[in-house]
Amino acid sequence: MIRRGAALAALAAVVAGLAAYPGYASGYGVRATLQIFMWIVLAGSWNLISGLTGYVSFGHVAFFGAGAYTGAILVAKVGWPWLPAALAGGVAAVLLALVIGYPCLRLKGPYFAIALLGLNEVLRALVSYFEGLTGGGNGLSLPTLDATIPIYYAMGASAASVTLLTYVIITSRFGLRLMTIREDEVAAEAMGIDTARHKLYAFLLSAAGPGIVGALTARDQGYIEPISVFPLATTITMIVMVLLGGKGTVWGPVLGAVVLFVAQEVVWARYPYVHPLLFGAIIVAVVLLMPRGVLGLLQSRYRLPRTI
Amino acid sequence: MNVFVTPAMLAQVVVSGILSGALYAMVALGLALIFGVMRIINVAHGPLLMLGAYTTYFLYSALGLNPYLTVPVSMLALFAVGVLLERTLVFRVVDAPELSSLLLTFGISIALVNLAQLLFTSDLRSVEYLTGSWVVGPVALSKPRLVAFVFAGALTGLAFLFLRRTKLGKAIRATSQSREVAMVCGIDVQRIHLITFGLAAALAAAGGALIAMIVAIQPEMGQTWTFKSFLVIVLGGAGNYPGALLGGILLGLIEQVASLFLTTQLSEVVAYVLLVVVLLVRPTGLLGGRET
Repeated sequence: MIRRGAALAALAAVVAGLAAYPGYASGYGVRATLQIFMWIVLAGSWNLISGLTGYVSFGHVAFFGAGAYTGAILVAKVGWPWLPAALAGGVAAVLLALVIGYPCLRLKGPYFAIALLGLNEVLRALVSYFEGLTGGGNGLSLPTLDATIPIYYAMGASAASVTLLTYVIITSRFGLRLMTIREDEVAAEAMGIDTARHKLYAFLLSAAGPGIVGALTARDQGYIEPISVFPLATTITMIVMVLLGGKGTVWGPVLGAVVLFVAQEVVWARYPYVHPLLFGAIIVAVVLLMPRGVLGLLQSRYRLPRTI
Repeated sequence: MNVFVTPAMLAQVVVSGILSGALYAMVALGLALIFGVMRIINVAHGPLLMLGAYTTYFLYSALGLNPYLTVPVSMLALFAVGVLLERTLVFRVVDAPELSSLLLTFGISIALVNLAQLLFTSDLRSVEYLTGSWVVGPVALSKPRLVAFVFAGALTGLAFLFLRRTKLGKAIRATSQSREVAMVCGIDVQRIHLITFGLAAALAAAGGALIAMIVAIQPEMGQTWTFKSFLVIVLGGAGNYPGALLGGILLGLIEQVASLFLTTQLSEVVAYVLLVVVLLVRPTGLLGGRET
């Protein structure tokens, strides 16, 4: 109990520190932290579907892009304030997930993974096609507005919400059912779990976060174009973050996001061309050698709580 | 948008659809074999096709080889690559949860594409050997596409003959039906996995070599082929090898018919909508079920 109290106190201190951070930090520090928050949301959301149910999403950036375009269109064409536009981005992403997830998640097997592999290209083609609304390949500019600090808090709140949501799910019966599906779907069905519905719920939850931060990112950068919001590289990065940190855990995606982002900024920014090669190698290595990630390794070495 | 469709246009579309459908069928047969035998969807299937295309390109541009003669060379080279990948990495995830094999082959796929970007750059390259078309009545037959169709048809036919008639082919089908029973019958399942993976890579390479003569090649050309090959399997019914043939032709026809009404930009969308609809309406594929 004492350890638990200490952990909670440390967590509260970190949250308070991050909340006060923009008051004394440099512009770069705030921007970098904002990006880390974004990656925590993306990685944490991927973890909700793929880490918990074992159904791999190869197209999660599609929800980021869908949110970005929804938010940007609402701000630029309809004149909404950015905060409701961001929430609308989340709603749009969830609706998209419903359309894709309903047919694909009723089935067992790789259907879901491959359907999502193609989703990205499809959205990019659609966005380029509907030029009137989206600006096509020319992109879409948002009215100028310096909202870095409010967006910092919005991103931070999203990151905290996704992490808290993961904790709540993992410690709930719903989470146990999801993990049962991951371990043995036939057995889960035999126990009376409506697997199709559970997988779909997890998928919808996992789409909301990327939709919201997509819209926030669009507002923050002031300009979006198809190639900037639908890059396969973003999906790859979230997958690497979760695998590295530990899939199916609460803190794995957070750990992976922070470590990988810092590593990217400090070391690899100098070698942009070998980035994907390295990520591909990390995925292969983690799958073969360390399937439970860094946290899984720590859990097996030291006495750590199961729901970490 | 084009609303008027003349019979001549329709004939052209059907012919073009069948021509590209044969290529789809051949490439998808490779993916279907791996899925049937090893229960793995190889996400790196498209990037293997891309490597086949580059093999042909370099043999043609550097050594001046006739590009059609490079097809068997590409196939052999990629057979070796496939065997190597299976022996070093893929065999480790054959019995693992699906997540592992999908992620592993995804990692391989990213690495292969990036490697190609580093080694060959992202420049568009093409093998211009046969150009122009033969005109038969109202229909224009693009020369490289027609030859590619003949090659794809012949290679697919050979693959089926191999699966039906030879002892090794029968062993592959037996393993695909039931690994345990195959093992009990004295089939070396590990070896079958190895050969299947190599064979699948060779079929992808043949596709790549033929496509290199039709469209420009670049490192990222492969990914859509993974998706389309999978769509072909879904159309034909997973694990149903003749179904892959039907699925391939069907996909070719649907894409071409759609191109009458939509811009090429949206052809990707058509394939996608098709996948979602088939999964909704007939998830076991049009021919249904497992192979016999």
